[in-house]
Amino acid sequence: MTKPKVFVVDDDFVFREVAEVLIKSSGLTDEISHFENGLQVYQELVHLAETPSKLPELVLLDINMPVMNGWELLEELKDGPAAIKMGVQIHILTSSIAPEDLNLSKQYDFIKGYITKPLTNADLEKLSKELNNG
Amino acid sequence: MKINKQPLSTIQNLPFPIVLVDKHMHIKDCSDSFYEFFGMERPKDGYLELETVIGELQQSLLKIKKNKRFQKTQVNEFITHITRKNELKWYKMVLNPSPESAHYYIYFDDVTKKKIALDLSLQAEKTARIGSWEVDLVNNKIFWSEMTKEIHEVPANFVPDLETGINFYKEGEHRDKIIEVVSEAIENGSPYDVELIIVTAKGNEKWVRAIGKAEMINGKAVRLFGVFKDIDKSKRSNDKIKVLTNRMRVAVESSNIGIWDYDIVNNILVWDDNMYDLYQIDRNEFSGEVAAWEQTIHPEDKEKSLKEVELAIEGKKEFNTEFRIITADGTIRHIHGRGKVFRDENGTALRMIGANTDVSRIKKADNRLRQLLSTTEKQNKSLLNFAHIVSHNLRSNSSNLSMLTGMLLDNIAPAKQQRFLEMIRISSERLDETVVQLNEVIKIQTDHNQKSQWVSIKTTLDNVLESINAHIDEIQPSIEIAVPKDLKVYGMSAYISSIFLNLLTNSLKYRDPKKKLVIKIKAKGEIDQTVISFQDNGKGINLEKHGSNLFGMYKTFHGNKDAKGVGLFISKNQMDAMNAQIVTNSKEGHGATFTLTFPNPKNNKQ
Repeated sequence: MTKPKVFVVDDDFVFREVAEVLIKSSGLTDEISHFENGLQVYQELVHLAETPSKLPELVLLDINMPVMNGWELLEELKDGPAAIKMGVQIHILTSSIAPEDLNLSKQYDFIKGYITKPLTNADLEKLSKELNNG
Repeated sequence: MKINKQPLSTIQNLPFPIVLVDKHMHIKDCSDSFYEFFGMERPKDGYLELETVIGELQQSLLKIKKNKRFQKTQVNEFITHITRKNELKWYKMVLNPSPESAHYYIYFDDVTKKKIALDLSLQAEKTARIGSWEVDLVNNKIFWSEMTKEIHEVPANFVPDLETGINFYKEGEHRDKIIEVVSEAIENGSPYDVELIIVTAKGNEKWVRAIGKAEMINGKAVRLFGVFKDIDKSKRSNDKIKVLTNRMRVAVESSNIGIWDYDIVNNILVWDDNMYDLYQIDRNEFSGEVAAWEQTIHPEDKEKSLKEVELAIEGKKEFNTEFRIITADGTIRHIHGRGKVFRDENGTALRMIGANTDVSRIKKADNRLRQLLSTTEKQNKSLLNFAHIVSHNLRSNSSNLSMLTGMLLDNIAPAKQQRFLEMIRISSERLDETVVQLNEVIKIQTDHNQKSQWVSIKTTLDNVLESINAHIDEIQPSIEIAVPKDLKVYGMSAYISSIFLNLLTNSLKYRDPKKKLVIKIKAKGEIDQTVISFQDNGKGINLEKHGSNLFGMYKTFHGNKDAKGVGLFISKNQMDAMNAQIVTNSKEGHGATFTLTFPNPKNNKQ
């Protein structure tokens, strides 16, 4: 089985680095790409959607980011290529514990999960199971 | 028992009930009607005992029976009697002595019908509280009915005369009036009908209606008679209504409610005194036309108010509106106007009546409440921002720390441990920085009592520029300053320095790398405010996208690595604390201008 591709979208480089180490050590995958904000990942996703096989299996998306935040990205994706919504599992990964944010995430049916930082091994095991089922 | 035999009776055939008795009250003779009257038949012979026929004897008859001496005077008595058919009857009994024969004639008369009629009229008198009276002017005798006596509160056996009767009227106008009308009635026979106050025997004052008439014989009054009605209750309730009406009039007069009456057909507007007070218009200067009213309305409210009147007259909307007026001395007053349109049977509007109330004070209180509400809302927003920063900046760094320490403890990726330690240092430094900034925010929120003073703009600006000397030397911007040397703003010195510093470092941070940075700082003193502006030619901000978030905490707009977003939030809070305003004018790619407006305190000249 080929290893899945994972995109980590977060403006905090410390978190991205730590997440990468954690994901690799959990054995989920070694193919991890970093993005600093919503706009960067949006451009990449739209580009990859032309050949859907190249799309990542999993996107871990922070909400609070400069330039284009998580919500703005989701709004763009809502009207974006269907291949992204169909083929990519998007999980919100945020430090926010505000219930408003959790509720807002439920408005997007292509959001697969909502994880509150810190990212733990338990979260990664769950993600791994969902990837294998999907 | 002794039975008398008298073959031929002289009174037997008399057509009314009469009986001849001796002094022992034994029947000696009687008419056939006597038996019939008491519902009996005449016995075949002899006579029955009197008690057997008429029932138990009256006290008066028993007395005569007992007395040895012959009763010489007539006895005249009313008797209640229950017949053998169980009907209640009243009859009049008249006993006439016949001294020569030592007998008595007793005559009976059925007065039941009369009695009922009398009772009814008495009752009517009582219910209506109407009494009657009569003065026999020839014999100077006076008669008062029971009710008349009751109204005067005198005992039933009271014997009045004309003078005492008149003396019951309250001294002064009431007594004078009754004397006048009674004298006139006696002289000319003219009737009277007056409402006056009497003072009863018990000293109570009472309103009565006295109606009187004289009976004239040969041009001379012989009898005066009339009725007497207790009208105290109705009179007093009438008076009460009058008092209430008066009270209402006083209430309207002393309130700030003005009443107006508009004759639509003839275009005549009538105002009450309050309206003139309300509009501060001299009565003589008011033309009484709607146009005169129109002129007083605030220009901004004129069209709307006239439209409201029009709609009311057309019947489309009730007249219930608020507008401002400008009084003669230039004061603006808020008026609440209500009105009702009156129409004829065809629905044509004829007249409009309404009230105007000065609601300026209510309005003021309302505005103050709104201000309070807006302050509360602002504070709420700050709190939300506060919650946001706690959630985001504190938690993102603390979760970094938790993940990093976890990986160290679990010995994950041993080769990278040095890097982990470096990242732990970065995260804890960030935490520390965040806590310092939070502290600064809280200080502004709680620092409102810090003293404001006049602060020199130029001096403050020079000090701030001095403090970022190194940074300026590095970037080499062109800084143009047009600030009058002596111009001051009223505020807190530390806040103003902090705001200047924040705006200047923002301009340095978000400069357009392709252009030479130009910063222009201007200040201008106006009558009631001082305006300072900071203008740059940097990256600018997309206000359409970020306008509402501009001064929120931890919003950044440039994707710039230095941007922490807390700066503008702090500046905004500091300006709020000084009652000053900060506004932005900017376009992405075309620089930004921040304008600071400081109000000049009214009673604190520099």
